[in-house]
Amino acid sequence: MSNAILLSADYKAPGGKMLRVRLKERDGRIESAKISGDFFLIPEESLSKLEKMLEDARLDERELKLLVDRFFRGTSAQSLGISPDDFVKAVLAAKSGGR
Amino acid sequence: MEETWRLVNVEYRDDPFMNMSVEEAIPRAVGEGGSPNTVRFWHNSNTIVLGCFQSAELEVNFEACKQTGTQVVRRFTGGGAVYHDAGNLNYALSLKKGHPLVPDSDLQQIFRRLSEGAVEGLRGLGVNAEFQPINDIQVGGRKVSGAAGSVRWGTVFHHGCILVASDLTILGKVLNVPMVKLAERHVTSVQKRITTVRDELQRDVTTRDVRDAIVQGTENSYNVRLIEGQLTKNEMASARELYDNKYGSSKWNLEQ
Repeated sequence: MSNAILLSADYKAPGGKMLRVRLKERDGRIESAKISGDFFLIPEESLSKLEKMLEDARLDERELKLLVDRFFRGTSAQSLGISPDDFVKAVLAAKSGGR
Repeated sequence: MEETWRLVNVEYRDDPFMNMSVEEAIPRAVGEGGSPNTVRFWHNSNTIVLGCFQSAELEVNFEACKQTGTQVVRRFTGGGAVYHDAGNLNYALSLKKGHPLVPDSDLQQIFRRLSEGAVEGLRGLGVNAEFQPINDIQVGGRKVSGAAGSVRWGTVFHHGCILVASDLTILGKVLNVPMVKLAERHVTSVQKRITTVRDELQRDVTTRDVRDAIVQGTENSYNVRLIEGQLTKNEMASARELYDNKYGSSKWNLEQ
């Protein structure tokens, strides 16, 4: 098993808010994820649920899209300033070392 | 009969943690039905107020905070960090969910509708203010006020801060504004994209003048009357509990 790598990205949604992603990655999978930023999301507590759901997910666009979609449907969460797709883009930006 | 809302001026200028405890106690009580619809005005001395999803470590320049005596508190709503000082006026609306005048599900609509009292108040003072989505009030392209809000505890909650006569030089030092955010707006520093009511009017306007104008703007916008009242015993007890268990702790304010 290889060592965990720290990945980060500051992603600005076009015309919207910031998502700041800090990930621990091991063997192509997310070990832990911390998402912060100046966006809106209600209920507010749901963010930690999304972070939890990201654990063990592969850093793969299709898998992340399905996961984020499942999160929004399952929690009826509403975001403002960022779209569900921005969460996916922000996580992928961390993968490619984007800041 | 004209509808009345409670006007509350309870504040703890040197205790941003107690201020934020009261800020949460009110919408909780309104949603429970123990308190009427409420508009609160208050001030903080030098304080950074973080959005609930922000990382203190990433957003705050702690060294500059130490030098300027700036405290850091986290609020329960999303959005970005703001800087408060005695020249900044905070307002908060707590309206029971289901109020016929107020949208209660779409956050963008809520921000627009519940910014109207402040926009109207500022216009009454002669400031050419307009709501700017997502959550700002702007004058000539510069931000003079930011808002945040939520739908929680059976309450539609909206609060905002208005730069009346704030010291913008401190603001620029204590907050780390990510370059990616400034770049999109084609400005090189946070100071260039914000303004104050005082600078716009070119006269020595006080936060009290602005508060009075917003009271009027609120009464006109929602066709209500604001009657000054106090916090209930229940709200005070709730605020103290929130202080002890949430807003008085560095775990909530800094470790997220």
